[in-house]
Amino acid sequence: MNCDWVRENIALYLYNELADDARHELEGHAARCSECAAELQAMRAFHIEMSGLPQLEVTPNLLAAARMQLSRALDSAKQRPDWRWALDPMALLRQLRFSPALAAVIFVVGFGGGLGTMYRMSAALHGGALSVEQQQEASIAGIRNITQEPGSNRVRIDYERALPETVQGSLNDPQIQALLVMASRSTANSGLRMDSVDLLRQKPDDPAVRESLVYSLRSDSNPGVRLKAEEALAPMVKQDIRVRNAMLESLLNDNNPGVRAGALKALEAVRDDTSVRQALTQLAKEDPNEFIRQESSRILAQAPNID
Amino acid sequence: MPGQGPSRVNDAELIRAAQQGDQAAFEELVRQYDQAVLRLALHLTGSEQQAQDIYQEAFLKVYRNLGSFRFECSFYTWVYRIVSNLCMDHLRRQQVRKEDSSRRVTSEGEEFDLLEQFPDLRAGASPEQDLMRRELGHRITRALAKLNPRERMVFEMKHYQGLKLRTIGEALNTTEETAKNTLFRATQKLRAALADLK
Repeated sequence: MNCDWVRENIALYLYNELADDARHELEGHAARCSECAAELQAMRAFHIEMSGLPQLEVTPNLLAAARMQLSRALDSAKQRPDWRWALDPMALLRQLRFSPALAAVIFVVGFGGGLGTMYRMSAALHGGALSVEQQQEASIAGIRNITQEPGSNRVRIDYERALPETVQGSLNDPQIQALLVMASRSTANSGLRMDSVDLLRQKPDDPAVRESLVYSLRSDSNPGVRLKAEEALAPMVKQDIRVRNAMLESLLNDNNPGVRAGALKALEAVRDDTSVRQALTQLAKEDPNEFIRQESSRILAQAPNID
Repeated sequence: MPGQGPSRVNDAELIRAAQQGDQAAFEELVRQYDQAVLRLALHLTGSEQQAQDIYQEAFLKVYRNLGSFRFECSFYTWVYRIVSNLCMDHLRRQQVRKEDSSRRVTSEGEEFDLLEQFPDLRAGASPEQDLMRRELGHRITRALAKLNPRERMVFEMKHYQGLKLRTIGEALNTTEETAKNTLFRATQKLRAALADLK
């Protein structure tokens, strides 16, 4: 080991990246060599100096916002392959190299679609008091596969069509509930989400509906939708740990004071729960919102002291 | 990053479930890693909005490519590789624009000076000490701005995130030895820059 080696490895030494034997040798060398000892000291000072730079920290609000933004982006990513063409059929044409052939196919498909009226209502939909009305105009929902026969201008295209339908039925009908759950996760229209969550909150006992309400409370970008989901879930906070966790998450991380206040009110019913008490203790001490601080203290004061 | 240690077995189960389309498993995977990802992006960009953009792009890439993940490296390394690439792209763009690295932007788009946000709250800290601390902060940010994107990335991951050089090498698609050399160059450059700025 010489001075050059020591100087090249002092940084690794300070970052705990040297093997034990090399560490030992480096320390021994620095004890005997005043120049290397000075270099070691200078490097330590540099380390301390660099650690003096203030670092931005991830706040709960930032994390919650990032998660919501990601959730919306994932929803779009999932929906895009099926709906991209329906929303923007021209995009399909722009992307295909042999658009004349495709245009001919689409024309034929559209003409055929206009002539034919295909009612493909399932037996399940016909059962009960559910009525389905299908409109005739179909759009291309997605292209699954395109192949061109070698040496010819013939093209084969496998595609899916989206047929607009209207369904009417009781809120108790499982299919109506399934459609409402789907609508509550719709990304584009917050009014639609609001309406569906408003209806779903009448059925919070259904596991799928409850799961959807928890999703809305955690992830919906619209505070109105989150508030509606929260109201629906509040009575379940005692019996369902997932609901309790979602409420706690909203209380700690939601960026809307109304949603936080609602979560706090709901969690009062389970104030003896250890995780709830921990959260309340933290909030009573340091939450920037005065109402949350005071309410947390009040609820804690009412809880039996079990610590 | 929590996925570095004991949750590896859980990770494998979650990854397989997510690969088969289990949405809850994917969300669980995201939650295991996302805080560390956001922290790294926030440190490197200094902007909440840009950090959120990198975070989103990283996990969208994870989502889109999860089907092709074959457990040839740890999921932790794979996620960090994706994030590192995105961060380095950001640093390259920032270098072209020569942005003032102590100026930061909130998610609402408001610009502020990072160093103004951290008053010295230690007992007995005088206004003079606070001023000196801010001056030091400015010098450090200017010194960091002199590193190339790869050096900046290695230094950030080692000094501020505390990752092992082996992990850093894997995340940057290089060897541990190269990561060591890059760290050495980064520290040398930083020391020289700080000496010049005194």
